[in-house]
Amino acid sequence: MHRLGGVGLAAFDRQKLHERSFAELSTEISQAQVDLLHAQMAQFRSALAHYATTSRDSIRTDPQFRHAFQRMCSSIGVDPLAGPRKGGWWAEILNLGDWQYELGVQIVDVCVSTRERNGGLIEMSELVRLVSKLRGLEGGVITEDDVLRSIRTLKPLGAGYEVIEVGGGKKMVRSVPKELDADQAIVLDIAQEGGGRVSEELLVQRRGWTPERARAALENMLLRDGLCWLDEQDEVDGVAYWVPSAMHWDE
Amino acid sequence: MALSTYTTPSGYRLPSIHSAPPFFTPQPNAATQATFTKHWTRLILFYARHRRLFYLRVEDAETTGGDWDEILRNSRINRRIHPPHLSFLLGELVSQHLAVYEPPKQTRTVLLYWRLPEEWAEVLHDWAASTGQMNTILTFYEIAEPPVPSPLSGIPPTLLRAAINILIKQSRAQIIAISDGEGVRFLAGNTSR
Repeated sequence: MHRLGGVGLAAFDRQKLHERSFAELSTEISQAQVDLLHAQMAQFRSALAHYATTSRDSIRTDPQFRHAFQRMCSSIGVDPLAGPRKGGWWAEILNLGDWQYELGVQIVDVCVSTRERNGGLIEMSELVRLVSKLRGLEGGVITEDDVLRSIRTLKPLGAGYEVIEVGGGKKMVRSVPKELDADQAIVLDIAQEGGGRVSEELLVQRRGWTPERARAALENMLLRDGLCWLDEQDEVDGVAYWVPSAMHWDE
Repeated sequence: MALSTYTTPSGYRLPSIHSAPPFFTPQPNAATQATFTKHWTRLILFYARHRRLFYLRVEDAETTGGDWDEILRNSRINRRIHPPHLSFLLGELVSQHLAVYEPPKQTRTVLLYWRLPEEWAEVLHDWAASTGQMNTILTFYEIAEPPVPSPLSGIPPTLLRAAINILIKQSRAQIIAISDGEGVRFLAGNTSR
């Protein structure tokens, strides 16, 4: 009887040979796939780079476009800030690293120069307004989103720049490395509602705090952190505290 | 409530911090207090210059209807500076050489230096030169109360004397005894100093 592969010892050898060639083929195929993927990646990368370079001006000047571009990047898993080189992919391809750092410097500038009057705590919209003013018209429009990203780039500096949510979707940027506890965040929230004014009584009424807790939170902000100002001529409660970063300054 | 600048009836533009209620309370936080003091001293001197006011007294914070009401009070927010706070600010002005206690040996009244005596000396000499009164003998009264209003109108005698003393040291003025007291004669002197 003639059997494929035959019988006897020779059949084992043939079997081995087949296995080997299958293995070779498989490696070849995987290699081809990897190569293809590499090629695709390279193509994608160059396409993205090309797109980014040709649209660089739009990305720099148009905040909506910039935002859309960033969303696209994050949805395909490309973090514009991460990259093989320092400064990340933005810096490498878009020269946007400089843009981002420049914005960071301007944020620091505004935070430091207003620290005297706000104790190192500034409302996000106010920060955006002042940074825009500093940049002038040629700088193009910047958004909260840009500021948030720049603050992230400031993190390695260890200067304590941090974005804090104070309720009602409001954000504040803290530029002094101080711990802001939960009670202080509530005080800021109440102050935001009252145009900057907050009092012991207000915290007791609105939040059901004990007077001691309210006093401790306010005194800490006043004395230790300089985040609020004292008013001893308040008509309603006799003594009130004012959070300058929550006051509306027309200037 | 927005905090904005405000122009007083006398035409002085108050900074926006003047409409912040806590501005009228001494601040327990040292850094805040330093900032407020800076704003206050600047405000006092600029306002004094605007109104040509030479003296500031602790009493100005106690009474209404005085020259200083526009800055020591803010009726729009119903705040005023209290006398001890003003007294502290007078001390700050003196320690920064922006004012002197006048008369000396009390701490209730200051003579404000919105121009330093050295600057008054220049103003005085320039005035004498530009009005053709070099080498003529002038009485203190004629300088402080000139028939035609001058930059020196109303200058307090002590400040005038301080300015003249500076000019004397620079050989640009001489005190001359006259029948009813003293007179001063201005000399071209060495203007380059």
